[in-house]
Amino acid sequence: MAGYEIGDGLIAVGAGLAVGLAGIGAGLGEKDVGAAAVGAITEDMSLFGKCIVLIVLPETIVIFGLVIAFMLLFVGIS
Amino acid sequence: MLLPESMSRIVIVGNKSRLDEATDALYSLKVIHLIDHTVGTDEGFSIGAPRPYSEKASERLLSLRAVEKELSIDPAKTELDAPSSAKDVRAKISANSVEAIGEEVFRVLDRKSGIVQKITEEKAKKDTLTLLETIPVDLDLYAGYGSLAVLTGSVRDDPTQALAGIEAECFVSADKKMAAVFVRKAKRDDALRILTDFEYTEMSVPEGKGAVKDNIAQADSRLAALNAELDAVRKELDALKGKHAADIVALDEELSISTEKGELPLRIATSEHSFIIDAWVPTAKVTATVSGMEEKMGGNIFVEVQEDRSRSLHDVEHAEPRFKETPTKMNNGPYVKNFEYPVKLLSAPKYQELDPSIILSIFFPLFFGLMVGDIGYAIPFIILGAFGLKTAKSKDFRAIAMILFFGGLWAFIFGFFFFGEMFGMHFTGEGAPGLLTTLASDKMVSWESIFSLNFPDWFVNIFPNHGHGVSKVNDVTFLLQVSIYIGIVHILTGFAIGFYNAKIQHGMREAFFEKGGWIITFVGLVMFAWALAQGMIFGKDLMAGLPLYILLTGVVLMVIGISVSIKKEGAQAILELPGLFGNILSYARLTAIGMSKAGMAMAFNYISIVLIGAGLGGIMGIIIGLLMFCFLHLVIWVLAIISAGLHALRLQYVEMMSKFYVGGGKEYEPLEIKRKNTKIVETEV
Repeated sequence: MAGYEIGDGLIAVGAGLAVGLAGIGAGLGEKDVGAAAVGAITEDMSLFGKCIVLIVLPETIVIFGLVIAFMLLFVGIS
Repeated sequence: MLLPESMSRIVIVGNKSRLDEATDALYSLKVIHLIDHTVGTDEGFSIGAPRPYSEKASERLLSLRAVEKELSIDPAKTELDAPSSAKDVRAKISANSVEAIGEEVFRVLDRKSGIVQKITEEKAKKDTLTLLETIPVDLDLYAGYGSLAVLTGSVRDDPTQALAGIEAECFVSADKKMAAVFVRKAKRDDALRILTDFEYTEMSVPEGKGAVKDNIAQADSRLAALNAELDAVRKELDALKGKHAADIVALDEELSISTEKGELPLRIATSEHSFIIDAWVPTAKVTATVSGMEEKMGGNIFVEVQEDRSRSLHDVEHAEPRFKETPTKMNNGPYVKNFEYPVKLLSAPKYQELDPSIILSIFFPLFFGLMVGDIGYAIPFIILGAFGLKTAKSKDFRAIAMILFFGGLWAFIFGFFFFGEMFGMHFTGEGAPGLLTTLASDKMVSWESIFSLNFPDWFVNIFPNHGHGVSKVNDVTFLLQVSIYIGIVHILTGFAIGFYNAKIQHGMREAFFEKGGWIITFVGLVMFAWALAQGMIFGKDLMAGLPLYILLTGVVLMVIGISVSIKKEGAQAILELPGLFGNILSYARLTAIGMSKAGMAMAFNYISIVLIGAGLGGIMGIIIGLLMFCFLHLVIWVLAIISAGLHALRLQYVEMMSKFYVGGGKEYEPLEIKRKNTKIVETEV
């Protein structure tokens, strides 16, 4: 793997952490909402649409992480 | 077309003696959305009583439903090939056909439950006998003594030793868990006391003669006979089901209709001699409704239009509570109609707001297609969608098929003309020709290179990006920009609809403060973010030239927009800014999903190509490689439905519809009889 420097590796690690940690966070958030939403849907099927909206709300956090990762990997912070 | 259909409120007044005819007329028009009468709103009027025929009909329906349950017939899921004539069915009802069927079925059912009970008893007896089987005492010896008491039951251990002191004779079963103790009646209590230490539980012994073993054999043969009898009864029930099923579903439908019609007076106002019905009718159908009612009732009815409901909420404020809510009749063409389903999943739109189905019908398949963006996955989607549209009858499945079909079309267009990709590989690329050399060359694997093809120039020129197509993995920065721009357009559409809704509900001034402020803020935010991106990401000088002007304009617009919005929403408006920024960034998923799929496809292709091309296992390697290729791409394809579908939907719900959609409207439900298993024959009156 000639031509790579430690800095490149650190950028890759940073990008991984950005996505991974954001993913864990979103997962923790979604866990609670999801459980509650399943309960609500069992009671009343017509709530399905509203529950989808609530379940996917924490998901945006991962996208933030992903954008940061993209910026690190492809745009490069000089 | 964008707004739900315009509604008018009418009032129908008539003579109570002709209520049945009026009911039939109301149902036959199929446009009347009844407004339930509220007690106390009109002096001298009260809620009507059900029609006399309805009570009998509901009674019959109840007993028919019981029969349906026993015979497991589900009228909702049954569709007769030849619907019976409604007139015949009515004749059958008057001839007490429901009662006759009920009697016939329940007679057999009674027999069945009798047999089932006997079987239970016989089984219990057999179980007891089995416990006593190894005790060497005949069955008739357990009872019938003048001076002897017999204690039979389960014990923990053999009690013979302990009982030796009281002159008792004890027999135990082979496993020492059952004991039969014969003792003088006077000593019975003593024996019981001793047995208590052995956790004795008394058991009643069935009557009978001879050895227990013989009795078990007899019970077995009786059980066999009973089971045969049960089978016969079951067959009889099946025969009954076959004989009556068609009649039962037709009777059920006809009775449900008369019950519904008969209970109509419970929703309207009646006085001693007259009735009043308030109802909503689509404005376009008002004339036809008035003339239709008058024609059917021979002029013996009075229909008057009360109001044509406008979209302004100010009109609603002064209306009577029961007239406040106007039903929503979504007004869409055959294509957009299928996208009403995802809107209704959230809730039906209000009468006073734009129906977002049409916006969804444009953006939903587009986003889906952009995220899939590969003709290898697009073609199965198109086929599956077309098949679904052709065969599916349920509304839910039709909506899903529609999304798959049009999403697939978009995926094909993007996959071919934008990405130039099939199963995660570009058609053309720089890789060296040949299956293996391609892998070794460390360049982009493409269909052209692995099969050593040479596509003609005109074909190569179709693809953008110098004849390669945009790469989901390498051109991420460009794709991200595209997604963000799409997002900006999408969110602006949402705000524009919000502005329009506010305008028709409250007027221009209110709309400006409610949504106009946000539109200005949003545009400002976009300019601000663009300028910042130029400076921070693309390394341009932020303090000079175009970026500076845009940055300043953006800040000014944001300040203006926020100060407009503050009037309506207070200081909270400032806190909404980061959320708005998040909304825009959220569209990055359009790229992210496509990229994740491309990444998976790349890895899977690598696995299969190594297996096939490197000849790792000769002919077996090729077969396994091809199977792996199919299976792994199937995995991606299935994931595409879930991830691309859900994310495309989410972008509509959360990012766009939250900018304007209120929902919670009441759906327009006209009085209408839907016949499935009965039909009205022309000659009937």
